[in-house]
Amino acid sequence: MNQDKVEKYRAPIRILHWVHTVAFVTLFFTGLVLFVPQLGFLAQDSWTRVIHRIAAVVFIIAPLIYLTLDFKGAVRGVKMAFTWSGEDLGWLKAAPGYYFFGNEKGMPPQGSLNTGQKLWWFIVIVFGVVFAITGLLLWFGRAALSAQAVLWLIFWHDVAFIVSGAMLLLHVYLGVLHPMMTESWSAMASGKISREYARTHHGKWYAEISKSRES
Amino acid sequence: MAEKAILYDATRCTACRGCQVACKQWNENDEYIPTVENGVPAKNTGSYENPPDLSPSTWLKMEFREVETDGNLRWLFTRRACMHCTDAGCVKVCPSGALYHDALGFVGYNKDLCTGCGYCIEACPFDVPRYTSNVLTGIARMDKCTFCTTAGLNRIVEGYEPACVKTCPPDALIYGDRDELLAIGRQRVEVLKAKGKSNAYLYGEREMGGLHVMYVLDDSPAVYGLPAAPEVPAATVAWQDVIQPLGWVVGGATIVGLGVNYIVARANAHKEEK
Repeated sequence: MNQDKVEKYRAPIRILHWVHTVAFVTLFFTGLVLFVPQLGFLAQDSWTRVIHRIAAVVFIIAPLIYLTLDFKGAVRGVKMAFTWSGEDLGWLKAAPGYYFFGNEKGMPPQGSLNTGQKLWWFIVIVFGVVFAITGLLLWFGRAALSAQAVLWLIFWHDVAFIVSGAMLLLHVYLGVLHPMMTESWSAMASGKISREYARTHHGKWYAEISKSRES
Repeated sequence: MAEKAILYDATRCTACRGCQVACKQWNENDEYIPTVENGVPAKNTGSYENPPDLSPSTWLKMEFREVETDGNLRWLFTRRACMHCTDAGCVKVCPSGALYHDALGFVGYNKDLCTGCGYCIEACPFDVPRYTSNVLTGIARMDKCTFCTTAGLNRIVEGYEPACVKTCPPDALIYGDRDELLAIGRQRVEVLKAKGKSNAYLYGEREMGGLHVMYVLDDSPAVYGLPAAPEVPAATVAWQDVIQPLGWVVGGATIVGLGVNYIVARANAHKEEK
């Protein structure tokens, strides 16, 4: 094993990430056609709805499969998204200086997920559940629900779309385009990042894994 | 162009249902017969009403009501079809432009553009749009009265009145400029009031910003099964007028912000390297 690299994401996590990515991006675009009037013609004959539903099945089932494979790990991961402290506030204050000007001063040492990643992870979980519940009800419950209920379900499906859609743009940008996020891509592609990057960007996590390896 | 409309005079209607037949015939909607195949049980509902409800192939249906007041039984008839609202909820929510406001004021429908989302069904305060939808795949198409302007079957551009109006024997349905029909309707209401029908009402003068199918009623709308104060649902307004514009702002601001960040951060990243 290359001594200069440490494993950031194990294979099952990476597979889940990419399967979910394909599903979500598909859902995003097949939903977008009903949001942008100029794209409405693409939805003719309902074929985008068929694709939307196939992707929705993948979107819901993939995390459930992961849950059955690694329940403890999944619970630990979900807990992470809901654990917030004062350090996160410090990160949020220092983040603009860092992401615009490369000013690392004032960035508190981070765990395996920094505050921004944690925020995205939090949104993925919360709005993933909102998407799934409102979507399934709109899919199967439409005939049984009142018009009012259906309209409010569409409303919340839309709110989830706007929030998570905007955050998706940010997530993709940071992972692929941002000039300083040099190793985010390889963390989710090969699973490995350099020791140097781990130490400077995820200090707390790096200290933890170093310690557990020594003992 | 002057707005066109239909005036339905419930006090003149004999409920012959000729309009139902003419509507189906002109628009090539096969008769809706309950069969095992279409899953509609044929049952006696104790009414002359038939078919049981509006459907993708029944755009117009006459409703019969038995109303008892002061020991007198009245048999009331209501025309059920698209009301062609000025402030139409269905047009507001239609994502593809399949539903649109015609230059003549009514709500046109281009079935070829329909995506089958069904948003219009819940947005309609009169419960008019109908669709057949595959529960599993969601493949669907909506249908409703098009004011006889369906492409290829357009009576209006040829200068004819809608099929239902054409066939009406007692002239309970008349077609013309909306302003003229308003005057006729008001006059009819005055006549009815003079006859002692104190609740007589011209429905559609102001409802939903003005309907393009107006009713002369000899009693309050509720007695005829019509919503007294129809409105676009609050959830539709919150969704279309608040959340969707907000979505554009959020999406646009995100893209602009990321673009600015890219330019600034790239310059600073280069600085670091030096």
